[in-house]
Amino acid sequence: MKQDNLSAEMMSGGFFSDFGRAVTKGDLFVKLSMLWMGAGYAKRKQYIKAALMTLFEIAVIVFTVQFAMEYVPKFGGLGSVMPEKTFNIETMKNEFNDYDNSFQILLFSLFSFVVWITAAAVWMYNMVSVYRLQLMEEAGVRIRTFKEDLISFKEEKFHITLLALPVLGVVIFTVVPILLLILVAFTNYDQNHMPPGGLFTWVGFQNFISLFGGGGLTVSFGYAFVRVLGWTLVWAFFATITTYIGGIVLSLLLNSKKTRVPRLWRTLFIATIAVPQFVSLLLVRNFFANGGIVNTICANIGLTDFLRNMGLVSTSYIPFLSAPGWAHVMIILINIWIGVPYQMLIATGVLMNLPTEQLESARVDGANKFQIFQKITMPYMLFVTGPALVTDFVKNINNFNVIYLLTENVYTTTNQVMANSQAKEVDLLVTWLFRLTQDYYNYKMASAIGIIVFIICAVFTLIAFNRMIKGDKEGTYQ
Amino acid sequence: MKFKKIPAAALAVVTAAGLAACSGSSSGADDAVGIRVWGAEDDQALLSELIAGFEAQYPDVDFDIQLGVESESTAKDTILTDVEAAADVFAFASDQIYDLVNAGALADLQNYEEAFERYPGRTLDEIKAANSESSVAAATVNDTFYAFPIAGDNSYFLYYDSSVISEEDARSWDTILEAAQTAGKKAGMVFSSGWYNAAFFYGAGFMTDLNPDGTTAMDWNGTSPEGYTGVQVVQSMLDIAGHPAFMFIADGDTANQIASGNLCAIVSGSWDAQAAQTAFGDGYAAARLPDFTIDGTSVPMKSAFGYKFIGVNEYSENIGWAVLLAEYLTNEESQIRRFEARQIGPTNLRAVATDEVQANYAIAAVIAQSEYSVIQKAGGKYWDPVQSFGEIIAQGALDRNDPAAIQTSLDALVEGVTAAIE
Repeated sequence: MKQDNLSAEMMSGGFFSDFGRAVTKGDLFVKLSMLWMGAGYAKRKQYIKAALMTLFEIAVIVFTVQFAMEYVPKFGGLGSVMPEKTFNIETMKNEFNDYDNSFQILLFSLFSFVVWITAAAVWMYNMVSVYRLQLMEEAGVRIRTFKEDLISFKEEKFHITLLALPVLGVVIFTVVPILLLILVAFTNYDQNHMPPGGLFTWVGFQNFISLFGGGGLTVSFGYAFVRVLGWTLVWAFFATITTYIGGIVLSLLLNSKKTRVPRLWRTLFIATIAVPQFVSLLLVRNFFANGGIVNTICANIGLTDFLRNMGLVSTSYIPFLSAPGWAHVMIILINIWIGVPYQMLIATGVLMNLPTEQLESARVDGANKFQIFQKITMPYMLFVTGPALVTDFVKNINNFNVIYLLTENVYTTTNQVMANSQAKEVDLLVTWLFRLTQDYYNYKMASAIGIIVFIICAVFTLIAFNRMIKGDKEGTYQ
Repeated sequence: MKFKKIPAAALAVVTAAGLAACSGSSSGADDAVGIRVWGAEDDQALLSELIAGFEAQYPDVDFDIQLGVESESTAKDTILTDVEAAADVFAFASDQIYDLVNAGALADLQNYEEAFERYPGRTLDEIKAANSESSVAAATVNDTFYAFPIAGDNSYFLYYDSSVISEEDARSWDTILEAAQTAGKKAGMVFSSGWYNAAFFYGAGFMTDLNPDGTTAMDWNGTSPEGYTGVQVVQSMLDIAGHPAFMFIADGDTANQIASGNLCAIVSGSWDAQAAQTAFGDGYAAARLPDFTIDGTSVPMKSAFGYKFIGVNEYSENIGWAVLLAEYLTNEESQIRRFEARQIGPTNLRAVATDEVQANYAIAAVIAQSEYSVIQKAGGKYWDPVQSFGEIIAQGALDRNDPAAIQTSLDALVEGVTAAIE
């Protein structure tokens, strides 16, 4: 195919060198395409494409003049005009001045940047594309019609058609909000600087400095951050490990030939999945409340007094979910009950697929059950479920439900320094972040914490996946 | 690689269309005066009835009034998420007024004096004078009147079982706890909440206040004008807390604990009237908060008194009509109607004076309490540290005989509450 050769010749370098070649070696109309994006197409009689590119160019220019220019010039200071108004009795309306809204400036400027970057990419591709048309014309290759181009999107370029919508969705609903969150972390967007009544502005790395204890007035913030981070990691580790091991043990028990009516037991355990988590967690929270049923029972059977005599409890109740230590252990225990059924399902699936030849040959060689478990079952299990284990860990770092539902309105910290930063000993970074934004409108700190959480999760995932995939372990089991 | 063009072009077109739509709607030919109202779930029927009355009052104006549900206790959170998108007229609890004013979300009603004079024909001063002085004071921040009071029964007092505790015994914590112990019952109060536990400090003459910059002022670690020290107040609280007949109640758990039947007295508000009546039966009684003993003298507790307000969004499009609607929803007739429908204590003086209101049992107790109450002025940084401090007392982590430790703890409390908003 001549066209393929052409493409090969054209695409010898990277995208940018192609673009450079198009700019330097293109004919007049290719060069003109730098100003009028439709020029190159018009010259090769591709009028529909020429019209589309012209429309696109006009749209971008209109967007820039009409919309972007209203916000982007203020991006550097995020606005300076405060709202002022006068009441007009005839219309019964307020007449406002043209005031700035820092958040809108931030959001719409960011949006404009995304549009412009996209437009720039399209503009460069356009250059490459019209230069290729020029080459094709010079080589006498037939140029595909617009209709043929369209058809190609459901033939050899079908993957592009499929991906277009998801990519657009990801950009608008994921990339833009994440960039916005990152930008907010570098501003002073909080209760005292809240649009539209107030303006916020850039403060550089100030929020991160105070997060790590360096900012004069927020000594307690750094103190609280370290403790909350510590518990987050401890929690994520134990929550992952306990449910993982619990799930395997449970599924081994259920798979054992000595277990009677395994289906009944399995159904019972799965029933905890069927009940919505917030229902079961709120119920459990009430069971273990200071005045809850478990405490009443413990008091009646004398357990509370026994613990008090031993000096483990200083209150007239057992603070299952209301004292540090107690609450930490209880949360992990309750999480086992919530999380084990899921792991049990996964483990059951994996155990059913154990390579039977290996098990049999091990048995023939005289290995006992524990040796089989240790040398075959467990390594196989770890290999298959390893990636899931990593995602579980990351999920637990952000396990909002369990912590929030079990401790909100129940746990009150007695650590005054923590309380002064609106944190509790049982808070994960996410629950703290939630309270900061929901109750205290401290968006800048919440964004800074959000970035830290993201970095922690990313680092753990990368390290764990790298170690797991390293050394071609896949071959071992195939 | 041409695919990029299509979504990008589509994006641009969509954006352009969006812009056109935006500019179109704001200059639209729709003449109806649109007002959005947020009220509590239980108030919906009443509000739509009152709104119909308002519309009937101005037959010449084409109103389009939309009613939405937003609890008075969470109104602030929803409004401050996006002030410009929030309702034009909304009901909220009085403790939220400071955050709302701080964020510039509430309209200064003084600016619309002209509208009041032209339409309902009364001045703002007349409207203020029609309501109880303390309710107007609570709606006034930095000498600016920001919201219309609609209800004044948001406080706590003492419910007790008169078959266990005599009316005379109910006057003091010491006698209540003694009587409770004799009967093998408990007396309870929420300690881990800055709303409840402040009653001891306010009673001893301490204060909290809100500074113009949104931070909170607090003097609990010093000496009150009455000459009591913060340490003495904490010692009194510890004395009560350490009594075997005393029971700590978690915030939000009062109704459960009343229903459990273990209590013979509890500090709570009108929302628990039903539960208390059921649990205490014929012995059901209510009174203002009991006195407590500081250094041998008996001192009355002063509750934090809360009101319900109706405010207007500063960024409301038809703000003139929105302000008039807010005023209408809180005027004498509306407050009487509200009391009839929901048994909620009014703030309008003439509504308070009606026989029906005077005969209501729970409201009588609130009115008795209102003489021993303060309007709690505190910013966002107040709540967590004070809650934590209450929990420290509840868990017995402080020793009454160690004034130095109590002082340290009070200092930490004041430091946290008065901290700058970072």
